[in-house]
Amino acid sequence: MITLKEALELSPQELDSFRDDLKAKIEANSELNAYIDVNVVAEGIPIAIKDNIQVKDWSVTSGSKILQGYIAPYNATVITKLLEAGLTPFGRTNMDEFAMGSTTESSFYGKTQNPHNPGRVPGGSSGGSAAAVGAGLAIAALGSDTGGSIRQPAAFCGIVGMKPTYGRVSRYGLGAYASSLDQIGPMTQNVEDAAILYDIISGHDPKDSTSVDMGSSKVSDKLDPERKLTIAVLPEYVKDASEDVRKAYDKAIEALKRAGHTIVEKSLMDAKYDISAYYITATAEATTNLARYDGIRYGNRKEGENLKDLFIETRSEGFGDEVKRRILLGNFVLSSGYYDAYYVKAQKVRHLIKEEYDKLFAEVDLILSPVAPRTAYEFGALEDPLEMYLSDIYTISVNLAGLPAISLPVDTASDGMPVGLQLIAKAFDEQTLFDGALSLETQLKS
Amino acid sequence: MQIDNTLLQRLEKLSHVKIADDKREEIIGQLSEIVSFVDNLSELDTQNVDDAFAMTSNGTALREDTPFNNPQINDDILKHSPHSEDHFFIVPKIIE
Repeated sequence: MITLKEALELSPQELDSFRDDLKAKIEANSELNAYIDVNVVAEGIPIAIKDNIQVKDWSVTSGSKILQGYIAPYNATVITKLLEAGLTPFGRTNMDEFAMGSTTESSFYGKTQNPHNPGRVPGGSSGGSAAAVGAGLAIAALGSDTGGSIRQPAAFCGIVGMKPTYGRVSRYGLGAYASSLDQIGPMTQNVEDAAILYDIISGHDPKDSTSVDMGSSKVSDKLDPERKLTIAVLPEYVKDASEDVRKAYDKAIEALKRAGHTIVEKSLMDAKYDISAYYITATAEATTNLARYDGIRYGNRKEGENLKDLFIETRSEGFGDEVKRRILLGNFVLSSGYYDAYYVKAQKVRHLIKEEYDKLFAEVDLILSPVAPRTAYEFGALEDPLEMYLSDIYTISVNLAGLPAISLPVDTASDGMPVGLQLIAKAFDEQTLFDGALSLETQLKS
Repeated sequence: MQIDNTLLQRLEKLSHVKIADDKREEIIGQLSEIVSFVDNLSELDTQNVDDAFAMTSNGTALREDTPFNNPQINDDILKHSPHSEDHFFIVPKIIE
């Protein structure tokens, strides 16, 4: 597959035939189930779009039954930006229902295969976007990351996935899961393409009150893999990961040392607290965000005897098990009698997590961390909800603190599956994040 | 912490969601397990920590309240709703 950088050099005629060929290739590989469908919006470089990002006149359903029949009446800001840059939405990709999952198995559209092994999950929730890029069925894709949903599938499918600093990319038009954690980001074949796509979609948007106005944040024209950085490694954090992941971690450390970076050993608090703070915060916000799906204004309705009955019937039929579980949990942590002990406590712990990162970033430029405890799971391996939540152990603190991070392929495991690791930077320091990632990628290829 | 059937009923009511009879036991078990896990936060001392958390330190962005009307938006939204007529969303009768 050509890279995004190469695609930007193609003529309109070359792109026309490229899109036709790509469509045929996607149809010929339909068993992968990375795409829900392929729809052409405009001429330009085709980009795969996760099914929770609004594209005007598309059916956009967040992988849910409850949104069947909904047609997006407007473009998300990231889509407007793609179109302005000569790129075009091209097909919507499969995902866990409402982005609540780590395997893409909870989608209304069925499971997506990992391009490296049809018996393994592609990760989630942006599993369709990751599988499409990993299988050579997309130049690049957009995903969304609330607790690792870009970085983990990227690691499982052997591609690059980047979660921007909270506030860098507009959330206008992103189907909301947990509003203080969600960010849209690029999923690409290499680090440079990720920087190019990040530059295209980022920037202040008056339509998103949490989008920051910091002037231009362009990074791709200033990429410098020769910069020498101080990078923290986390031996305590890594020891519970699988042997494949630990081996990849050591390999990355050696590569970073060879590239001239300074490696320092650091530690972070026990990640079990991250998981608790995350699942309290995310389900509380999800409960609120998903209250809008009532069968009146969007998508699917199941009639009832009266209005209340209609709400209950519509929601009970329309939401899948994991979504219902998170709505119930969210209402639990927000309900009278439990609010202080759970929701408020989690917000306090968020301060502790952020302060810990602030302290670390006063001494280092980047942190090297695993993305997942192991390589891509077999289908059904994360059926137990708590097991699934625990598998997010390495990704969620980044969202809780609002930091930028990038997952990139580092090694191939003994079972032939890709192993990805992530670099984490301080808030709004995407330049250092991409510089470090490009340095690691370059060193690993040499 | 153990979630029981009474608490599940309260959460269903708050959530406008009904859990099927054959799934109640399973979900009570799962929710209890998850809530017991997140109870680990009580091990952390947060006595002097701010109880509100915001992603930006700049507060909420404000803008001028300028009237704006594009009737096409109404038309598009109503066209794709499950049931609408004469520029209204149609719901079951709420007053007898």
